[in-house]
Amino acid sequence: MGKYIVRRVIQAIPVLFGITIVVYAILLAAPGGPTARFANNPRVTEADREKFKKAWGLDQPVPVQYCRWMGICNPNNEGLAVFISDQGVPNFLPTAIGGGTNGILHGDFGISISTGQSVSSMIARAALPTAILAGTALVIWLILATLIGSFSAIKRYSFFDQASTVFAYVGYAMPTFWLGIMLIFIFSGPGLNILPAGGMTETRLSPPFGTEAYWAYFAANPFQAIADIGRHLLLPVITLVVVNIAGDSRFIRASMLESLSQDYVRTAKAKGLRNRVVWFKHAFRNAMLPFVTNVGLEIPFLFAGAIVTETIFSWPGMGRLTIDATRDYDYPLLMGVLLITAILVVFANLLADIAYAVVDPRIKY
Amino acid sequence: MTQEAKPLSTPTGSSPIDVEADAIPAIGMGVAQPDEAAALRREEAGADYEVALESLNQWQLAWRKFRHHRLALMGLGILGALIAVAIVGPILWPFDFNSIPKPDQIVYQGRPPSLAHPFGETGGLQRDVLNLVINGARTSLFIGFSSMMLGVLIGTIVGSIAGFLGGVLDNVLMRTVDVFLSIPLLFLILVASRVFGNGNVLLIVVIFAFFSWMGISRLVRSLFLSIREREFVEAARAVGVRDRRIIFRHILPNAISPIVVSASLIVAANIIAEAFVSFLGFGVNPIYPTWGNILSNALTFIPLGNWWWPFFPGLMIILTVLAVNFVGDGLRDALDPRTRA
Repeated sequence: MGKYIVRRVIQAIPVLFGITIVVYAILLAAPGGPTARFANNPRVTEADREKFKKAWGLDQPVPVQYCRWMGICNPNNEGLAVFISDQGVPNFLPTAIGGGTNGILHGDFGISISTGQSVSSMIARAALPTAILAGTALVIWLILATLIGSFSAIKRYSFFDQASTVFAYVGYAMPTFWLGIMLIFIFSGPGLNILPAGGMTETRLSPPFGTEAYWAYFAANPFQAIADIGRHLLLPVITLVVVNIAGDSRFIRASMLESLSQDYVRTAKAKGLRNRVVWFKHAFRNAMLPFVTNVGLEIPFLFAGAIVTETIFSWPGMGRLTIDATRDYDYPLLMGVLLITAILVVFANLLADIAYAVVDPRIKY
Repeated sequence: MTQEAKPLSTPTGSSPIDVEADAIPAIGMGVAQPDEAAALRREEAGADYEVALESLNQWQLAWRKFRHHRLALMGLGILGALIAVAIVGPILWPFDFNSIPKPDQIVYQGRPPSLAHPFGETGGLQRDVLNLVINGARTSLFIGFSSMMLGVLIGTIVGSIAGFLGGVLDNVLMRTVDVFLSIPLLFLILVASRVFGNGNVLLIVVIFAFFSWMGISRLVRSLFLSIREREFVEAARAVGVRDRRIIFRHILPNAISPIVVSASLIVAANIIAEAFVSFLGFGVNPIYPTWGNILSNALTFIPLGNWWWPFFPGLMIILTVLAVNFVGDGLRDALDPRTRA
């Protein structure tokens, strides 16, 4: 098992490497670039733009920029010496033995062009809100999808089953953002107005989430703070859950139906076991096996859904960061966000494979 | 003998139950038939029956099965109506980006649906939502279908090359596909649309196609790998048919049904993705309304109670995607040779 995990992680490295190349290749041909946002500003002259590009190293050819971002090239050196760190050692080697300090190979994501803050600190600040949102949605989504799916398999062709089929078809066709907008209208519109339309905390009550002042406030009255986040969490979570649940409840229904028709289920029934025991001890556990892999493969969609959900509900997470970085052509930030997401996806897939081995003792690696 | 003759003698347009009713007299089971005696004679002689044989090709057979799929037919009807609206609507009632209402006609939060404006009017510029939706249908459907076609073309070419030639090229192509599939594609589409799109419809189509070929190429490759080993390909090769002819005449026609089914899913995915990207403001320029970019300002007007602005475009997206999915389901059943009509 350990060997398998190591092999999978090693296999993931070229994939991640390929991802950075794909994204850089997309940015390579970008007309405009980060200076595009000054294009309509009459106070910013051509000379200023050139200075800006030089300061951020954007005047270099794209392979050099990529090489610097990776941490193979040293931005301080010129010519052939570009690969050598300030200590005179190849730049890509670890800092501890004299290698460079810049670039992704040294854990340095660079500086965001639009804010001037370090990309890693921006990502760290946005990660927690996204983890709260996506994590809550994931838990509720899995529980509900499992319940709906297995219940509609047990009571096949019942009213509940038919209703959940219709729900699944419609939910599957529904764009996330549309559902979000409609929920905002229903619950925060002029009619009901019982839930906040956006944000993560009540601005009148608490400091912005993630600041030191916020944690002081959180320590002072934790229950109020959690309740506040919970209220703000409700609509975005519903949005994510409804859209994701649709396909999965169908998936579980199908695999539950298959395992209900197996011989061991008939045997268990013939032995006189109660229905509940047969359903949950025999059929359900086997039905969950393919679903475990499926969940791993669906995690990326949860993140993609989070981008738009966070935008609609002004949630201060990774999705918002992605949108801002895309809008401002903030290459370092964009690369950082994409790399983190890709790592998460690869990791989620790996986790799904491991989980599969755990729930199915027949699998040996 | 009766068993074999049955499916062949079915006149088109009958259900499986009708098949028997029609087939039996044709074989001369004693129902009054003018040449009953002749038929009996032939039966005694062991000769073939004179049955009205009607040869059906693959697509006719598929259509016969498709017709019995009620939801799929409904989907096809809805889709046909939407496409008709998308083609005719903008000609009869074009969208005028430059028309700006007089200040005294403006109700800032827009007007709710009424007889004059069945889908209401947007906030701000007082656009007629029905007009936007009709003109949006053209762009959205155009992007959905044409990006699918281009993507399927790319995917089929890549998959055929990988599956037919194999070797190093296959490995390189498939690892590239792995890389593409391990990033949430919506991220890449978003970034690419922002960087290259310029709000241009055709560029957006190219970008969407560029990100929707991977699944198809995997599928086509696996189909090629299995069909390549079948006897008829071996036979073709043995008589000296050239590679190109083997690919286009022997392998591809046998791979077409699974490709058609997953192509229908790509249409649905791309319509939603286009709406997503345009909603975020990185997609199509608002001069050309799409179901996504109509919504991009709607969020601001929701607190003022303007629900009709986002509601109708979203409803059209749901309707279209539902219809496409139903048609896809129907196609899957119809093109699967294991199910019989």
